[in-house]
Amino acid sequence: MVLADLGRKITTALQSLSRATIINEEVLNSMLKQICAALLEADVNIRLVKNLRENVRAVIDFDEMAGGLNKRRMIQSAVFKELVKLVDPGVKPYQPVKGKPNVIMYVGLQGSGKTTTCTKLAYHYLRKNWKSCLVCADTFRAGAYDQVKQNCTKARIPFYGSYTEVDPVVIATTGVDMFKKQGLEMIIVDTSGRHKQEESLFEEMLAVATAIKPDNIIFVMDATIGQACEAQARAFKDKVDIGSVIITKLDGHAKGGGALSAVAATQSPIIFIGTGEHIDDLEPFKTKPFIKKLLGMGDIEGLLDK
Amino acid sequence: MFSLLKGLVGAKALSEETMRPVLDKLRDHLIGKNVAADIANKLCDSVAIKLEGKVLGTFDSVAKTVKATLTESLVRILSPKRRVDILRDCLHAKQEGRPYVMAFCGVNGVGKSTNLAKICFWLIENDLSVLIAACDTFRAGAVEQLRTHTRHLNALHPPARHHARHMVTLYEKGYGKDAAGIAMEAIRYASDTKTDVVLIDTAGRMQDNEPLMRALAKLIAVNEPDTVLFVGEALVGNEAVDQLVKFNQALADYSSSSSPHVIDGIVLTKFDTIDDKVGAAISMTYITGQPIVFVGTGQTYTDLKALNANAVVHALMK
Ligand SMILES: Nc1nc2c(ncn2[C@@H]2O[C@H](COP(=O)(O)OP(=O)(O)OP(=O)(O)O)[C@@H](O)[C@H]2O)c(=O)[nH]1
Ligand SMILES: Nc1nc2c(ncn2[C@@H]2O[C@H](COP(=O)(O)OP(=O)(O)OP(=O)(O)O)[C@@H](O)[C@H]2O)c(=O)[nH]1
Ligand SMILES: [Mg+2]
Ligand SMILES: [Mg+2]
Repeated sequence: MVLADLGRKITTALQSLSRATIINEEVLNSMLKQICAALLEADVNIRLVKNLRENVRAVIDFDEMAGGLNKRRMIQSAVFKELVKLVDPGVKPYQPVKGKPNVIMYVGLQGSGKTTTCTKLAYHYLRKNWKSCLVCADTFRAGAYDQVKQNCTKARIPFYGSYTEVDPVVIATTGVDMFKKQGLEMIIVDTSGRHKQEESLFEEMLAVATAIKPDNIIFVMDATIGQACEAQARAFKDKVDIGSVIITKLDGHAKGGGALSAVAATQSPIIFIGTGEHIDDLEPFKTKPFIKKLLGMGDIEGLLDK
Repeated sequence: MFSLLKGLVGAKALSEETMRPVLDKLRDHLIGKNVAADIANKLCDSVAIKLEGKVLGTFDSVAKTVKATLTESLVRILSPKRRVDILRDCLHAKQEGRPYVMAFCGVNGVGKSTNLAKICFWLIENDLSVLIAACDTFRAGAVEQLRTHTRHLNALHPPARHHARHMVTLYEKGYGKDAAGIAMEAIRYASDTKTDVVLIDTAGRMQDNEPLMRALAKLIAVNEPDTVLFVGEALVGNEAVDQLVKFNQALADYSSSSSPHVIDGIVLTKFDTIDDKVGAAISMTYITGQPIVFVGTGQTYTDLKALNANAVVHALMK
């Protein structure tokens, strides 16, 4: 599971508070050190980690406070709140509506798993009896259309693409219009991989988005990514209106903390995670239950409500 | 009297304690540049050990000394311990009357196939003919991806310019087949057709996926390529360590040979997507001790570079 390892380490660090007879600066610092080390090992963005440390420290004023229990609770609660901030942007994801066309555009870095995830999602909805389909607006990557074609054929998902058209805007518009006319409900648009350093690729993404006016844009991020995630995710969000995040390749060993900075940078919730190369290796993701499970502590609700 | 004077002009011996604040800062700096946390720690610890007890000159500050020592060790990590000269090795194999074989491996989506195509372009620019073995028989579109590259590359280097010789050929058997077997047939085919180099594309796989790692080990053990290249993306964080350790381990453990062939070199891809967060270069070379043979810097055939260790260290320490 995402961050399961991290959850354990944090729990251990928090327990050091319960074991300490007095809570002083030293105990707090040592606990924070453990937590921050665990976060950094999980690839969480270093700036977010520094903020977390400072925010927890700022809550506690040792000179003014008395009473061990109170301090303990305040520290725990501050840590929880900061961790929640990492995963929970506090906004609800777009909810597709059955019976009308929902146009969903997928964007992300090269090789992050967009095409695979598009097929998984189309299949996910297909199995729930939605009329779902895929438009391949990647005209750059060699074999991109074949990839979509083979995936969709195997899973009996209607698809649209072209071997000859080189303009992704044209393909996307044609495909989306066609499927809308045919009354499809979940119209998924796959796009080429891109990165912020190449402006023309970002302009192309904007052009596609402007042309098809998607109901939601999903940012697909690979779980193995490290410190470079934040700047990329922010740049994508600055260019187009990203509404959700999907983290892929969580079947590996990756802790996924790097990809989490995409949540903060795009202010968008994670909605699914990818857990393998096969079409049904997809799990829905719900922020709140995830945090509860992650931190595995019974009284977390109470701590969070404060 | 003299020791007192010495004290006045500021000579001091370095201790772990005086260095700690500087080291902690540098460690965080390295982590911020995407060096794996564990490796950043180890690097800083080794600097501390190296400098412990050293007496500083009058104008040396602790920070400056620690930084200089770290810089030195970073350059050393990135500097290849042996000479890698693939073109020379290819020519050597050619003289022996056999094809030179390179296998590409790595986790999913890092750029194996694309950088294989770039390396292919570089080889044909150097007048070597290439057979691409399509041994990713799993991922949808993998074969067509290579076929498209083959077509483009042949268009860039038409037979007319190479004594009527087709510079690139694709060897493929479609999907679902045993990769090790296809690689073997491809090498034989290259031998028969006097093709200079064989580039073996393999499917992406997670380092924890035992069946897939076994299959890779088999492919390498059976076909004995001249070079096994690990393809890793510069975007990868702490996971770089686990990937390399486990790929190496799998190649060693799942091979029945007494001297198994492990990773010989690294292709570091997507270097154009990370700005100055170049730390993965350090993580990967630190773990394997193997050189970064190629750096991928974009999505076109010419976006293939050699690593400039000094420039990488400069970006790291900036
Ligand atoms: N193990 C694993 N592999 C995945 C997962 N999602 C995608 N992949 C693999 O990652 C690789 C890249 O996936 P693609 O879907 O082609 O990625 P993409 O983002 O469309 O790539 P570009 O279009 O080139 O930018 C393929 O080998 C996929 O099989 C996942 O959740 N787990
Ligand atoms: N920006 C950039 N993109 C790259 C680079 N190398 C590869 N890519 C892109 O990364 C994506 C994945 O590349 P592939 O070559 O298909 O990766 P792979 O490792 O073969 O993927 P699988 O076979 O599915 O595991 C493609 O969109 C490539 O164009 C690079 O150096 N820079
Ligand atoms: Mg794709
Ligand atoms: Mg490939």
